[in-house]
Amino acid sequence: MAGESGFDTFVDDLPRKWWFKLLANWIVIPFWAWLRPTPPLPGGPRPTPQPSENVQRMMNLVMPLKDKSPLGRAYAAMAVAQNVNEIFAGLDNVGTVHFARFVVIGDNLCMISVYDGDFTNYIRDFIATVGSVFDAIMDLVEGGEAVKPCETKIDAFIDWIHAHDLFQAPDLPTDLFRLQDAARGVERKREPGLLRSLSREYILQLNANPNFSLGGGYRAYPGFSVAQVRQKLGVGW
Amino acid sequence: MTEEEMAKKAVEALDIVPGGDTRRRPVHTNGVGVEGHFVASEAARDYCVAEHFQGGKIKVTARFSNGSGKTALHDGWSDVRGLAVRFHLEQDKQEERAVDLLAMTLTEFFTPTYETFLKFASYTNPEAPVTRQSAWRKLLELLELIQPALPAPYPGQTTSSVAGALRYADEHARSELSIFHAAAIGAPKSYARAAYHAVHTFFAVAPDGTRRAVRFNWVPVSGVLNTGPEDPVVDDYLKSDLQLRIKGKLGIGTDPEPVRFILMMTIGETGDDFDDPSRSWPPHRTRIVMGTLTIDAVASDQDADGERLSFNPWRLVEGLEPSNDPILSLRRNAYEFSRKRRGGVAGCPFSGV
Ligand code: HEM
Repeated sequence: MAGESGFDTFVDDLPRKWWFKLLANWIVIPFWAWLRPTPPLPGGPRPTPQPSENVQRMMNLVMPLKDKSPLGRAYAAMAVAQNVNEIFAGLDNVGTVHFARFVVIGDNLCMISVYDGDFTNYIRDFIATVGSVFDAIMDLVEGGEAVKPCETKIDAFIDWIHAHDLFQAPDLPTDLFRLQDAARGVERKREPGLLRSLSREYILQLNANPNFSLGGGYRAYPGFSVAQVRQKLGVGW
Repeated sequence: MTEEEMAKKAVEALDIVPGGDTRRRPVHTNGVGVEGHFVASEAARDYCVAEHFQGGKIKVTARFSNGSGKTALHDGWSDVRGLAVRFHLEQDKQEERAVDLLAMTLTEFFTPTYETFLKFASYTNPEAPVTRQSAWRKLLELLELIQPALPAPYPGQTTSSVAGALRYADEHARSELSIFHAAAIGAPKSYARAAYHAVHTFFAVAPDGTRRAVRFNWVPVSGVLNTGPEDPVVDDYLKSDLQLRIKGKLGIGTDPEPVRFILMMTIGETGDDFDDPSRSWPPHRTRIVMGTLTIDAVASDQDADGERLSFNPWRLVEGLEPSNDPILSLRRNAYEFSRKRRGGVAGCPFSGV
C-alpha cells in the first residue's frame, strides 16, 4: 500500500509468522491470563425465562478417556455399542430428547444431544432410565469412578456432567464481555480499543476452556418441544 | 421540539455536505430500482391478516442500495446494503394502496433513541479523513491481543467513518453489537446474495385477533456470499450482476438461480425488548416463512422507478402495526422530510409532514 514503510509491512505480517505465534502462545497469552484471570465459564445453556430458549437446548458432553489409545477408544465404542437398546429405550422414556448421539473425538467420548427443559431434570431422567450405561462409561473416563454409581451419587453425578458440558459462547458475540466480567466479579472500564479487545476475551476464555461451543446452534423449527413435534406428526406418543 | 423538527435534525445529521445534497438521498444514495412479485406462504395468513399475506401474486417495486451517503459509486467497498420493498395492494377508489418494508444487511441498528442517534452521527462523519495507525501502535495492540483498529483503505479512499464508529462503541456499550457487525460487513457478491433485516418490531394481527410482536427479514435463496479478500475491488458491478442474473446469463454452474428471497417473520417473546432496534433477538425464536419475493426485472427507467421513489416504514396496512420503538417513530417523518427535500414521489399517507 502507498505510504507504507517496511516496518509497517513487517508488523502487518507478524500474526502469520511462526515465531510470533510461538511468542504469543508462550509469553503474551500467559501474561494476559495472569493479568486478567479468567475462570472457565460454566457449560450448558444459561438460565432464561424465555420459552424458546427452554426447548431444544444443546448438550455437548466431553468426557476425556482414561486410556488414550486405540484400545481405550475401542473400549468406549464397545461400551456404547453393547448398550444401544438400553440407551434408545431409555431416551424414548425420557421423552424430552430431540436427538442424541455418542461420538469419539480425539481421546474423548462425547454425548451430543438436544433436549427440552431444565438441565438437572434431564440428567435425573437419564439416571433413572440409562443410569447403568453411564456407570459402565464412568469406568472408562477420567474422574468417573468418583461419581458412580450415579443412582446413589445423584448430585455429584449431575455436577460432574455439568462440568463436562461445553461452555456455550453467547449467540450475540459482544455478550461475552458481560459474561466474563460477571465471572471475574469486575465492572468493565471503558477504555479506547475496548470493542476490539473482544478478541482478547475470546483468547482468554479459549485458554481457560480449550473446547467450547460456538453459540447455541441452529434450529430448523425453533420454539417447539419434542412433545409438540410428536403430537403434530401424529406418531402416537 | 416537535416530531417534525426532530426528524429534520436527524436527516440533517446524516448530511455529508452541510445542508445536504438536496437532489439525492442523504444515505443509501446509490441504488438500483427493480420490479418483481411476492407470493405469501400457506402459513402466512394464519399469523397476519394484512392483505399481502393472504396468498396470490402481489406486484412489488423495490430498490437495492448501498448504505453510504456518498454520490460516488463504490459497490466493492465494505458497506451496509439496503432492500426497500413496496407491496402494491388492490387499488381502492383511485387511491394508491401499498405496504413498504425497509431492510438492511445489519441485524441491528446502531442506537436505541433519537438522542443517541444524533450523538452517533456526530461521531461518524463520513468525510473524516482516513487515519492510519502507526506501526508501533499496531505492534503494541498485537501484544495486547486486540484486533487491528482499521482496515487498510481502498485504493483512492481518503475518508472514512469507521474510526469514529469504533470510538463511539468504546464509549457506548449499547452500540457494541451493531458496530462489531458493521466493522466486518464487507461487500456482497451480489444484491441477490445478502440477507436483509427490517430490524424494528412490528405487531402482526392474526385472524383470531392475536397480536404478536414480530421482526422481519429477507433470506436470499442463493445464499449469503461476500467478495473475498483476494477479489479485486470493483466500483460498479451490483446493477449489472442483477441484470445478468435475471437474464440467466451469469454462466452455468456459477449462479443459475433467479433473484429470490424468502420473507421470514420471527416471533418475539416476553422479555425481548420490542422497542430497542439496537439489540437483535437470539436466533432461537419461532420463525414463520411468510412468502417468497422474486425479482423479475431491473427497472428500465431508473430515475422514475428507482431514484425518485420514496419508501417509508410507516406505510402499513390493517394487520401490521408499528411498535413504540423511538427510532421507528423518528423514521416516519425523517423519510418524508428527505423525500420532499429531494423531490421524490409518493409521499407516505401515514406521516405527519
Ligand atoms: C435514526 C434512524 C434512521 C434515519 C434517520 C434514517 C434516515 C434515512 C433517510 C433520510 C433515507 C433517505 C430516504 C429518502 O430520501 O427516500 C433513508 C433511506 C433508507 N434507510 Fe434509513 N434511516 C434510519 C434507520 C434505518 C434503519 C433501521 C433501516 C433498516 C431497517 C434503514 C433502511 C433504509 C433503507 C433501505 C433506505 C433506502 C430506501 C430507498 O431505497 O429508497 N434506515 N434512511
